[in-house]
Amino acid sequence: MRLRPSSVRVRLTLWYTVILAGIVLALFLAVFFFVKTSLIRQLDREVESEFLAVSQSLAEEPNELSEFEADGAGRAFQVIEGNDVLFETPAFRQSGLRVADPARPTAARTVKSRAGARFRLKTGPAGPDLALTVAVTEEPVRRVLRTLLIIFMLALPVGLVLAALGGSIMAGRLLRPIDVMAARAEKISAESLSSRLPVEDPRDEFGRMANVINRMLSRLEEGFERLRRFTADASHELRTPLTVVQSVGEVALQENLDAAAYRDRIGSMLEDVARLSRLVDSLLTLTRADAGALALGRKEIDAAQLVAQAVEDMQPLAEEKRQDLNLSAEGPVPVQADEATLRLALVNLLDNAIKYTPAAGTIAVKLRIRDAETLIEVTDNGPGIPVEHAGRIFDRFYRVDQSRTGQAGGAGLGLAIAKWAVEANGGRIELENREAGGSTFRLVLPHIL
Amino acid sequence: MNILVIEDEKKVALAIKKGLEFEHYEVELALTGEEGFFRLSLRPFDLVILDLMLPGRDGTEILRTLRKKDKGTPVLILTAKDALEDKILGLDLGADDYLVKPFAFPELTARIRALLRRGRGDQALKLGLADLEMDLVKRTVLRARQVIPLTAKEFELLEYLLRNSGHVVTRDMLARDVWKEMLRATPLDNVIDVHIGRLRRKVDDPFPPKLLHTVRGVGFVLSETAP
Repeated sequence: MRLRPSSVRVRLTLWYTVILAGIVLALFLAVFFFVKTSLIRQLDREVESEFLAVSQSLAEEPNELSEFEADGAGRAFQVIEGNDVLFETPAFRQSGLRVADPARPTAARTVKSRAGARFRLKTGPAGPDLALTVAVTEEPVRRVLRTLLIIFMLALPVGLVLAALGGSIMAGRLLRPIDVMAARAEKISAESLSSRLPVEDPRDEFGRMANVINRMLSRLEEGFERLRRFTADASHELRTPLTVVQSVGEVALQENLDAAAYRDRIGSMLEDVARLSRLVDSLLTLTRADAGALALGRKEIDAAQLVAQAVEDMQPLAEEKRQDLNLSAEGPVPVQADEATLRLALVNLLDNAIKYTPAAGTIAVKLRIRDAETLIEVTDNGPGIPVEHAGRIFDRFYRVDQSRTGQAGGAGLGLAIAKWAVEANGGRIELENREAGGSTFRLVLPHIL
Repeated sequence: MNILVIEDEKKVALAIKKGLEFEHYEVELALTGEEGFFRLSLRPFDLVILDLMLPGRDGTEILRTLRKKDKGTPVLILTAKDALEDKILGLDLGADDYLVKPFAFPELTARIRALLRRGRGDQALKLGLADLEMDLVKRTVLRARQVIPLTAKEFELLEYLLRNSGHVVTRDMLARDVWKEMLRATPLDNVIDVHIGRLRRKVDDPFPPKLLHTVRGVGFVLSETAP
């Protein structure tokens, strides 16, 4: 165990020690006062019996008082008649006790002598005109209590130091998993995101924390992986048109062509520049969507109208492929959305459906309300999405048919953009493969509150 | 027509100058904000093309100062920042229009034409080119005196081409102005191409000479002579 002072550990130990000291102190006080009271009570019984014995001998043999004087037992009492001291033992005299009002009877009480010694005193009537005061020294009681205090004063610091040490060791041992986790986490960087924190006991707090951090690391790793793939894909996609531009330009420079032919070459280059530009626009839309920087003007719009407009706009494309693009929507269906981005989502879905549904196929667009949600469904009777692709179909640059790149397949950003666009409007996108073949893409928008 | 171009990227500035001179505008270049400031103080211009991102004096500063003494000169902003706030800021400061880089040159000239035309009543009721006639009130189109039936979209498309006849229009311009599409990322290129094909079949195929030409890599142009 390293003795590196960690603040949590010090704090834990400190708290532990202070609380322990408080409990021990309280306990000691309780014991101390209990012992004190019971000892005093015992002393009082002694005083009573002494009083009884002396007053009895006073009543029976008043002249034998002097015997007491000779008594070596050191009994201390005083007999008063009126205001004069009739008799007192030598012990009483030596003690230097002075009774304030010797004639007034009292219960047993503690009185301090002039010399500072404490006595237990009882005064009471002992015959006609006689008042008796009996004194018993408290010294033995005091001695016991003093010893008790000394033991406590010696034991407390030692006990506390031991307790603090033990507490510190225990806290250190308890907190060690954190040190281990911290040391391990220190080594995890963007390059080694695959390593995980050790989990000693998945049920305790530290285990749970390690698991939480590990899950976070998994998500980070996934994110990094996506980013890395995205960057690689993006550069690949950008490189293709760039290569075309470069090679067409270089070849044209070497050739001796007439103006019309050069114009044609430049046009060819511009076509690819347009492709690049389009791609950069899409990427920009997605990256800014990631940063959450796209200001959306969400307001209440009629989904029926928006769907009808998008279908009408895309109808010519379907007609070119002799596809039946039909719409069933009854409006108005109010939704809370940014018109441009929602349209972006839908047009991308339609574009995708028309592109991948064979000629003369059918594409049905349906607007309906289910529970508290507005659904825009685009169903085609094309080949459907193979199950192994379904999970990644909304990934950027993902194509079911990897060979279909370029003009025919697009850059593989359409569905990613559609997904973002509907999510930016507080909705989500769903894909449903139908058993009869074909697939349904569904834009789900929350109902207006 | 005098146009001042304030743009710090020399290649872009020279390309704009050359392209605009080809369209018979007189063009002065300012490659820094200070120079633009200086030139603006020397003489009035019919139009100013201003890059917002300039070293030294920022484009917005120039615009603000210009607007203090001169409210009339149209200002067209060029900006690489495709952020909505920038556009709003520019328009708030008194710019008349904006164009996001990279832009297509035909789009720049179309904007310039629109800005220079502004304020002059341009309430043509009829448009036409060669033997192609369009009646905006009756919403009819004639080619060689024969009525050509067009769908609403085709009519709008042809109207836009006619208004810009002799000038190339890009797909981006058509998407924004005819299809009212706000986002560049919306895939409408194929839709536009299909509509152009249909329009060509109705307007051009039966009647020589061809009027609707494709400029490869740029867009389309309606003119009597092939580009």
